[in-house]
Amino acid sequence: MKTPACRAWAGVFLAFTLLAGFGAAAEEDMISILNPRGTPPPIRLVPMAPRLDTLDGKTIYVVNIGFGDTFLPEVRNVLAEKYPKADWVFKRKAGSYFDDDPKLWAEIKEKGNAMIMGVGH
Amino acid sequence: MTAEEKKTGFLARAPRSRLLEPGTPTNVARLFNDSGWTDGIPVILPTEARVAEMMKGTSHAPEETVGTMRPSPPHEAWEYTVEMVAANAVMAGAKPEHFPVILALASTGVTSLFSSTTSFARMVVVNGPIREQIKMNSGIGAMGPFNEANAAIGRAWTLISKNLGGGGTPGETYLGSQGNNLNYNNICFAEREELLPVGWKPFHVQKGYKAGESVVSTFTGWSMVNYGGFALPHHQFINRMLSAFFYSGTGSGSQATLLLDPITAQDIRNDEGFDTKERLSEWLMKNAMTPASLYWARRGGALKKAQEGVAPFASWLKYPEGSFLPVSNFRSEVPIEIIVVGGETNAFLMAGDFRYVSGASVDKWR
Repeated sequence: MKTPACRAWAGVFLAFTLLAGFGAAAEEDMISILNPRGTPPPIRLVPMAPRLDTLDGKTIYVVNIGFGDTFLPEVRNVLAEKYPKADWVFKRKAGSYFDDDPKLWAEIKEKGNAMIMGVGH
Repeated sequence: MTAEEKKTGFLARAPRSRLLEPGTPTNVARLFNDSGWTDGIPVILPTEARVAEMMKGTSHAPEETVGTMRPSPPHEAWEYTVEMVAANAVMAGAKPEHFPVILALASTGVTSLFSSTTSFARMVVVNGPIREQIKMNSGIGAMGPFNEANAAIGRAWTLISKNLGGGGTPGETYLGSQGNNLNYNNICFAEREELLPVGWKPFHVQKGYKAGESVVSTFTGWSMVNYGGFALPHHQFINRMLSAFFYSGTGSGSQATLLLDPITAQDIRNDEGFDTKERLSEWLMKNAMTPASLYWARRGGALKKAQEGVAPFASWLKYPEGSFLPVSNFRSEVPIEIIVVGGETNAFLMAGDFRYVSGASVDKWR
């Protein structure tokens, strides 16, 4: 049979336990965690292409990598109208947009002065 | 040009620290979420003790390089070690016994978060003895949220792709316009090899591995659709469905993977006469037709030839509106892949515009 004194002590014990519990919740242990990130490579610096001093008399390639053949031919036509003293050449890169096209790059290096490439969707 | 614009060479990055600054679990969990290192769902924090426990799942050294990964070809490739993969495996909720499969996945260097505006999805298929050893699900609900190994392995791939593969930051290294819900788990399951019809090889054996090897295979695509073709023989139904892939626009109708319930596979083998997966695949690739209107819309060169009277294109122009042309979009170098999975509760199949990307030996990473 529980006496009033026993109940009082039980109450004190319960209160102490709860307070201790709250203390633990408020002061979480510090933990040491591994870095989940991988290692990126050093950042490669790619210099800008040299600017042309003028477009007059120059051959500029407009290259589509393969997302439709409507937009860039129009871009080429607009540029040709706006800059008639330059020769504007439209080309469609071979293969899919992930494929390399060394033949075209060689042609542009040989015959062109600059290139505009359309990349994206 | 300015001197800045002419610079070449490399800029070094700050050295990577193995450990983060110590913090309380609450604060560290917040850091992981706010830094974009999770998939938006709470992760198991990779403490040293947990990562050490994960390392028991492999004989490989913590500092061994596993591979490199990038979000898409123009991006730089990040490098990662066994221990870095272990940290992400812990985060995904994986157990040490799952770890060789996760390492094999990471070794492929294939990201699950490919950066394209078209919101790619990925798929993981596991073959060989490891399926049973780690209790993967290949039966009822194999592709649903019911199995620890399927769930953790699939999730780990996405965390690895974010944290080790340098991807998964929307607007920077991830450009999928709508995103893809399949990226949470990457359709991770095991093939039901035990219920393959007679003569049908397990998927990894089709790819040149031995039947006793454990292998993880990766696939890429966009979407999966659930079918039950009861009005027609399965193969004819699938053929019509593949033609519809062209209409959907995904994959340009040029790649497909079929996930057949064992009942469906048995029907196709026993009632429809396809005694190998390859025969079914070849028949479908040969017979999948292309809707005329979409063919002409996408093949400007062929339309020009048709208008100039060049055969056979000219004759195709005379087909009535709504016709299918006798030309398949599928190419032999990208076969229609077939995998058997499911619990035999219905003769269903799933089909999607997925293709096989790569496989890796799990045994190598034990």
